[in-house]
Amino acid sequence: MYVDRLPDALKGALPAPRRTAAGQAVNAALIIYALCLAAGLGLSSAYWMTGGDYPFGAVRAGSWTVWPKAGSRDADPYTRAVNARTGGIPLGIGEGLVLRAAADDAGRALDARCTYRIGTTAPQARYWSLTLYDGAGRPVDTALKRSSFSSAEVLRGQDGGFTVALSREAESGNWLMMPESGEVSLVLRLYDTPAASAAAALDPRSLPSIVRGECGP
Amino acid sequence: MRLLARFVLATVCGLVLAGLVHLSAVLAVPYLAEKDAFSRLRGTLSADRSEIVATPGDHGTWLPYPDPDVALATCAYTLDEGPVRVSARTGPLFQSLSLHARAGGVFFAITDRAAVRGALDLVVMTRRQLDEALASEDPDEPSRDVRIVSPGREGLVVVRVLAAFASQREQAAEAAKSVSCTIDRE
Repeated sequence: MYVDRLPDALKGALPAPRRTAAGQAVNAALIIYALCLAAGLGLSSAYWMTGGDYPFGAVRAGSWTVWPKAGSRDADPYTRAVNARTGGIPLGIGEGLVLRAAADDAGRALDARCTYRIGTTAPQARYWSLTLYDGAGRPVDTALKRSSFSSAEVLRGQDGGFTVALSREAESGNWLMMPESGEVSLVLRLYDTPAASAAAALDPRSLPSIVRGECGP
Repeated sequence: MRLLARFVLATVCGLVLAGLVHLSAVLAVPYLAEKDAFSRLRGTLSADRSEIVATPGDHGTWLPYPDPDVALATCAYTLDEGPVRVSARTGPLFQSLSLHARAGGVFFAITDRAAVRGALDLVVMTRRQLDEALASEDPDEPSRDVRIVSPGREGLVVVRVLAAFASQREQAAEAAKSVSCTIDRE
């Protein structure tokens, strides 16, 4: 090549040498690699983030989690995507508020082998319901044929407080039977509640506590 | 070394593109989903009455985390043929009504407390239909309809009736499925 015979000072002024076939193959491989990385990472992260709970906007109050904006016009795109994928129909802010708990007051995941006591207060609402779900998001299906208590049917003490017991063995008072095994979760729904508009500032003391008792094998 | 630099550049480009793909995928999911509530209920678009999705006490619903104390019924609507009139009679049980835009979330929700003489009446319309209704209205006799502008042309009317006691379950289901959603032709 004549370029090799030129003085070094002149070489820099010349246009870059044409790419070789090997260089072009490397470039093509890098472009394909970048596109695969984009598609794989972008799609899998989107899939992963819209499959379970709402990823953003959660507010914690004690052991309960609330998504104050899930039932409003301001719901973020992730919340909408989660609902679209699960078929969920959120409760509107004007209807009420949904609180979820997957762990007890000490932060340990709710386990079907343990016993729990839930009580004794709930925020002001026209009605509330407390439901026990299995790991797949269905109300528990046990021999008791009951998976929830509403504020109207729950038995209360003399001070107006209530206690709901979760356990495998029958207990007196408000009792929900635990499924045989696996993780469980609780949902407290407050219907027609002033707390809905101020959900981000819920007082944990107004919410039922979740206290773990004994655990089986 | 030069190859490594190109590899790093390709990785950075890939990551930036991945971010764009991620965002567009999340935004597109509501429009592409086949298992969202609206798509599942598309078959009920022509029905004049709300159809039950979850009956209280029954665990066989596709709804994730259903409230076993609540009867939930829906009307799927499309505003292509005109505004949709929603009429519900309230009873002794807690009842709430919410409007969900397809891919858009809740845009309106009320409870039976807002009922006038035991009835909840709403007219769901597009912005254009609202403008037309306002333009053709007699200024001396304004309409008493509660008009709600839907952010999209398609959506769901969702009725929830609470059965606080097991004995009220049947009554709650009856109340939930007795809401009428008809196309308002005037």
